[in-house]
Amino acid sequence: MNYERPELLDQLAATHVLGLLRGHARARFERLCGTRPHLLAARQRWEDYFLPLALALAPVVPSAAHWPAIQRRISLTDGLPAPGTRGGRRLSARRWWTLAAAASVIAVALLIGRLTIWSEPEWRAMAVLAQSTATPLWRVERTADSRRLVIHTVGPVQIAAARSYELWALPGGGAHPVSLGLLPMQGHIERTLTAEQRQWLLKAMQVAVSIEPAGGSPTGLPTGPVIIVAPLAIVTS
Amino acid sequence: MGDVLDQSELEELLRRCAGGEASALQALHRRVAPQLLAVLLRLLRTRALAEDALQDAFLRIWQEAGRFDQSKGRAMAWMVSIARNRAIDLLRAARPMLMLEEAELAEAEQLRVPGPADRAEFSRTQAALWRCLEALGAQQRQCLVLAYQYGLTQQRIAASLSQPLGSVKSWVRRGLESLRRCIES
Repeated sequence: MNYERPELLDQLAATHVLGLLRGHARARFERLCGTRPHLLAARQRWEDYFLPLALALAPVVPSAAHWPAIQRRISLTDGLPAPGTRGGRRLSARRWWTLAAAASVIAVALLIGRLTIWSEPEWRAMAVLAQSTATPLWRVERTADSRRLVIHTVGPVQIAAARSYELWALPGGGAHPVSLGLLPMQGHIERTLTAEQRQWLLKAMQVAVSIEPAGGSPTGLPTGPVIIVAPLAIVTS
Repeated sequence: MGDVLDQSELEELLRRCAGGEASALQALHRRVAPQLLAVLLRLLRTRALAEDALQDAFLRIWQEAGRFDQSKGRAMAWMVSIARNRAIDLLRAARPMLMLEEAELAEAEQLRVPGPADRAEFSRTQAALWRCLEALGAQQRQCLVLAYQYGLTQQRIAASLSQPLGSVKSWVRRGLESLRRCIES
């Protein structure tokens, strides 16, 4: 693609704004916008042209839990008063960063929990867990290095009393399924995998969900019915 | 509509976000989250997915507010672009696994481009898009709207309109050319 020919550049920018550039082309376009002002300008022009189509949709108020969830994710709780109260500590999370950078090594070490939250990893789609064509029940994402998972419930999850849903990596090639832990019944959970879980997950092409006694399989292998088998999305870097 | 489009107020909130004022992000959330959620819901179709993507978008807005160019009067366009990009990433990553095909086709068949009544509230500058969309051929218009609002790929558009992929690609290309000429005239 010749990025200097104005009419091609304009088509490319418009195609990107429509969401029609795929894979590498999309990533390459976004990267080039950072270094080529005329490309960025073309993209912004098309974003402006199409904006009325976005604004024409009737607004939908997010659930009450939405803002608190954002607040948690960016660890702003120190800087924001709790809902319904006034005041609160004025030191914003971003200023914490500046302080942390200036502080001693020990102080930085003490802040590690906060820093971990701040350097939010880039989550990549791993699997969508659904029974046949029904609405998905969970959406699983992992970090690029597959050391951490986050599992979101997508719809209402129901189960019989004293039972849990357990997630398994299916390495194939005759290897046993390896437990990746229990699935949440609501909200989402984040989990750091052990080295062994990670190793098997990296070999797996599929994951499965089984119904187990509350707390998970007592044997380390699926004991109850497997209700879902889903392919893994390929992790691209 | 006027509320959402008060660019100077949105820019002021973004400026305060860039300075690390969390209360400004909360105010921004109150102002624009409902419109962004509408955009995400149309693209992702599932409420939980859309709300998650909206969280991601707000995280990004907070982190990138310092880089937002205040001089161009396009705060809302910038935030919509962040939200749409997140949704398209999710759609392209999850689409092969989400068995949405049939629901999607049914929805695409019911597609309606906003008519004159929907447009009454739009400003003159925004009216250009409607006027120019209307000037396009029906198929070109439908392709652009299915891509922008519904996040469909050209393959999906071809399937939902029961037309060859080559025709869809050509409608998109020619539709974009005509749209640009019309808006810029």
